[in-house]
Amino acid sequence: MWSSGRRVLQDLLRQPAVRSLSLSPVQHTVIVERWWQVPLSRVGSPPRLHPRRHKIFKLVEDTKHSSKEDMELILTQTVPRLGGRGDTVFVKKSIGRNKLLAQGLAVYPSPENKHMFAEELRILREGRPEDRIQTRTGQLTVNFLKSSKLEINKTLSDEFQLTKEVVCRQLERKLGVVAPLQALNLPFEPIKELGDYWCEVTVNGLETVRIPMSLLPYEDPSTIRQQADEAEAGEGSESQASTSADAQTSHDSTAPPSERPDKD
Amino acid sequence: MPLHKYPPKIWEALKMKQGIYTRLPKHYLKSLEPKQPRPVHWRPLGVQYRANPNTGLKERVQDIPIPVYYPPESQDGLWGGEGWVSGFRYSNNDKMSKRLKKIWKPQLFSRELYSEILDHKFTISVTARTLDLIDAAFGFDFYILKTPKEDLNSKLGMDLKRAMLLRLARRTTELYPNDPAKRESIYNKYKQFEIPEEEAEWVGLTLDEAVEKQRQLEYKEPEPLFKVCVEKLVKELEMQKLLEPHVMEKK
Repeated sequence: MWSSGRRVLQDLLRQPAVRSLSLSPVQHTVIVERWWQVPLSRVGSPPRLHPRRHKIFKLVEDTKHSSKEDMELILTQTVPRLGGRGDTVFVKKSIGRNKLLAQGLAVYPSPENKHMFAEELRILREGRPEDRIQTRTGQLTVNFLKSSKLEINKTLSDEFQLTKEVVCRQLERKLGVVAPLQALNLPFEPIKELGDYWCEVTVNGLETVRIPMSLLPYEDPSTIRQQADEAEAGEGSESQASTSADAQTSHDSTAPPSERPDKD
Repeated sequence: MPLHKYPPKIWEALKMKQGIYTRLPKHYLKSLEPKQPRPVHWRPLGVQYRANPNTGLKERVQDIPIPVYYPPESQDGLWGGEGWVSGFRYSNNDKMSKRLKKIWKPQLFSRELYSEILDHKFTISVTARTLDLIDAAFGFDFYILKTPKEDLNSKLGMDLKRAMLLRLARRTTELYPNDPAKRESIYNKYKQFEIPEEEAEWVGLTLDEAVEKQRQLEYKEPEPLFKVCVEKLVKELEMQKLLEPHVMEKK
């Protein structure tokens, strides 16, 4: 039965399930080429094909298994997790065809559609103030800023003062919000004493949000880290003891370094 | 063995040079000319000469198409130029191994496709390639109208094309008859494909259908023989009457 080493190896390595699958008819787009090269024919005359050899093909590629590309669409409505009207999005083909296009939530990015939506966005940005409305992301930013609070620690240097540039930097570091200088309004500039203040941020030149801001005394980074570790350990033990004070513990764990000085 | 005046092989070609076939419209006869479809199942080199990959010397190369069989079902769906590639393969992809019969067939899906011009949803069997082509053309109607006959390669597709072109040609009566605003926007979108109604009626007809259409256009009611005879008799009598009283009155 096992007449040669090659046969033995083949028999042992054969995987019946995979083999039966490969024998079943393959049904998808294929690209094939000939195993045997066709001899060159004279220019203008038909190629001389061998009756047997030139019908033997080799599978080059099956597009079914090539990597799936995303499809580009322009949204006509606000779609959760994707974007608002006029946004160009890249989505999986199945989602694009079966959901977005089928329900009319998106259109194809043809040149006319692109031009139309670009014009619409331009009017939204440059048109008269009464025509302009807040974009979806702008509205999200406003909602986020309304519920947030900025806490700034003093540095060690004596000439420390809170200016627009500092607030701008702290906004990006603490809240992750990029606010250009012209969008930021600081009424009590420059601030040197500790205490509670507020600053104003204008989103897209339309809506102004007032953010509470407090200037706290200097804290050593190493002690901050230590306190954070302690708070985490405490939280672990607390969660075992009581689950009702969940909000309390999470609040403590997220902002322990700023909470402590207030109590002091 | 009878000896024909013309060999039977060219009878089909000769048929086109006589009778009703010569009276078919020019644009229809032009659309019948066979054209090479875009390669789907093979990759053309696209050049006449290239550097030999082994020696680096210039050599002449040829693109030889792979024969594809289009089953009758492909005419009832939109396969995007795909068909059955039937031939052989080597087992284990090894040239020294056995040669095995092999038919590569496309995977078909049944999809609902909406046509804006016809304002109707069609359930059509399509391939993944067709869906990609529709996306690339920015819509189902654009795909049908833009793609030439040899690439569409489907009777259904050509029927849809004819229906769309007829709608565009008869837009005042058939294109969204109850919604003028929508009609205007749709017409402006697909204005570039508009052709005269007389031409649109012939798009995508098979030769048999076209001959039948031409026959119906040329058809005239047969005239009964007695009417011809009566007319002839009346004429003769008139001639007689004209001749006779002339002489009588003079007397």
